Amino acid sequence: MTGPVVAGIGWITPQGPGRGREAREFPMTPGPIPPVNREDVFPEPNLRFGRLPQYSRVGLAAIAFALRDAGMEQWKTKRFAGLVASTRAGCLVTDIEYYNTVLPEGGGLPSPNLFSSTLPTCFLGEAAIQFGLTGPTLIVNDPAKDALSGVRMALESLSWGECGTMLAGHIDLPAGPAIPGISPPWTGGLFMVLENARDSIANGYGTLDLSDGGAVLHNGIGVPGLNELVRACLAFRGPS
Amino acid sequence: MSEVLITATASITGLGPDLDTTWRRLLAGETAVRPILRFDAGRYSTRNASWIEGLETRGDRSLLYPLLERLLDGFVPLPPGCRLVAATTKGCIDTFERVRKGLPGAVDDIPVSGPLAWLAARLGLDDPGVNVNSACASSTMAVARAAAMIASGRADAVLVVCMDLVSEFILSGFSSLQALDPAGCRPFDRNRNGLSIGEGGAALLMMSAEKARGKGIRGIGSVVGWGAANDATHVTAPARDGCGLIQAIRLAMAKASIGPDDISAINAHGTGTVYNDAMEATAFESVFGSRRIPLNSLKGAIGHTMGAAGGIEVAVGLRSLADRTLPPTTGFGEPMERCGFPVSPLPQPIGGRYLLSTNSGFGGINAALVLKGNPE
Repeated sequence: MTGPVVAGIGWITPQGPGRGREAREFPMTPGPIPPVNREDVFPEPNLRFGRLPQYSRVGLAAIAFALRDAGMEQWKTKRFAGLVASTRAGCLVTDIEYYNTVLPEGGGLPSPNLFSSTLPTCFLGEAAIQFGLTGPTLIVNDPAKDALSGVRMALESLSWGECGTMLAGHIDLPAGPAIPGISPPWTGGLFMVLENARDSIANGYGTLDLSDGGAVLHNGIGVPGLNELVRACLAFRGPS
Repeated sequence: MSEVLITATASITGLGPDLDTTWRRLLAGETAVRPILRFDAGRYSTRNASWIEGLETRGDRSLLYPLLERLLDGFVPLPPGCRLVAATTKGCIDTFERVRKGLPGAVDDIPVSGPLAWLAARLGLDDPGVNVNSACASSTMAVARAAAMIASGRADAVLVVCMDLVSEFILSGFSSLQALDPAGCRPFDRNRNGLSIGEGGAALLMMSAEKARGKGIRGIGSVVGWGAANDATHVTAPARDGCGLIQAIRLAMAKASIGPDDISAINAHGTGTVYNDAMEATAFESVFGSRRIPLNSLKGAIGHTMGAAGGIEVAVGLRSLADRTLPPTTGFGEPMERCGFPVSPLPQPIGGRYLLSTNSGFGGINAALVLKGNPE
């Protein structure tokens, strides 16, 4: 049986935004994430985006690019598609920003807007609203360094028939000097649109499977991490 | 598909260090919501929360560890190859607060990988497992995940550990959202005015029925259905029409191969906020029509324990099925408008074998579980 098809890929990395069908390669070198502005993501004014902290912007932008890449950004009726992302540091950068408003020296007036984004799942909720996605929604915190736990969980959900489409990926931003010593091994946000092969109409980037031991397989070949998975997908599809 | 048993449970709440104490005090209609002594809460809309007495730790470590130590003290041995699925929304948030205040704190504890590694070492597990974060439905989603892992044959046994702390971070946030009831949480009450935060933990050992029975373990009950759906409507407020919760409940009942007539009790999320409780009543009405199923919420008694809520509610739900008694809804006085389901400040008898347990959270997340009690 064929595993799910990778129908679209989108990302925000230290090298900037990108999506599969516009990319020749997937450069990934460490560094700070550049600011993500509304114009980079949505051509039209977007009331919510400007109020989001950087962590949520990165995640929402990566999801938008993945759906655009799969030709699934536009919608009329809600879709039962799930959202799952792995993370190591979660929304720690937002937590820091919020808690600065709690500490008396920060003014002692806690920001309700920032507090609303201090759960790592909140950007998935933003994406659910923006794109009409009504499936299971979760973040998985995982000590694994391969940044593939979100993809693994999505593949499991698809194989269990929980839904036919999953947005799966990884998100992490370094905490910076506010809390030294917390620097995730992977920085940025990246999502893939995964569709059960029988449902997919997209001309995709190959298929994914899970080995019995939990390894992620691209077209039957194991990949050691998220970067390698993206590169394998891009190489399979070839230049646009 | 393998049947999924829950073979052991433990909980710790503001009402008590174990499930028996919590259960007894729940039935008595007591509440653990009281003034916080752990930090100065004077700046916020309430000073009250449900917190655990006597949690102490070395200066730079989180109170989450003594909470977990008490939770796991005396817990049954885990079978070989047991997997770990944890659920917390903010983990060692007190350590985060300490570090941001310039006080000593174990920075490695701040990412959830910290408590995961601690749990794996404490439990002697090779695999550190994962933490599921789905806002206030985290542990419901963790139980659903564990059930799916077992049902599909990916795991024979999974330990679900749920946990969250009362902290200034959380209290200040809900205070800023004007979501706290200074009088204490009053679920499904006409005069409800917000939630009370709480802290707690639960441990649930889940096993395939085949594996458990091979070891002579009968189990406490089963997880027979689970479902999750997003409202896709609002990030912090529930959908007024309950669309996500309705879908989650229907998915859970379909997975359990049962219909609305089979559910004999509902343990609702019941946060005591105006919109959550109204949304839940709308959703239950939509699914169950004119059936009047006993309904309760634990949050007036133990507060909203966030990432631990669903796990504690599963442990209590299984006890409810075993004792054929739904605990009181502490804080409830007058029925709210447009809720025809029986909610009571007293224990309610329940007759059948299936209990529905639901949770919802920020991000539009809804999750539902169907629990089945063991026959006599």
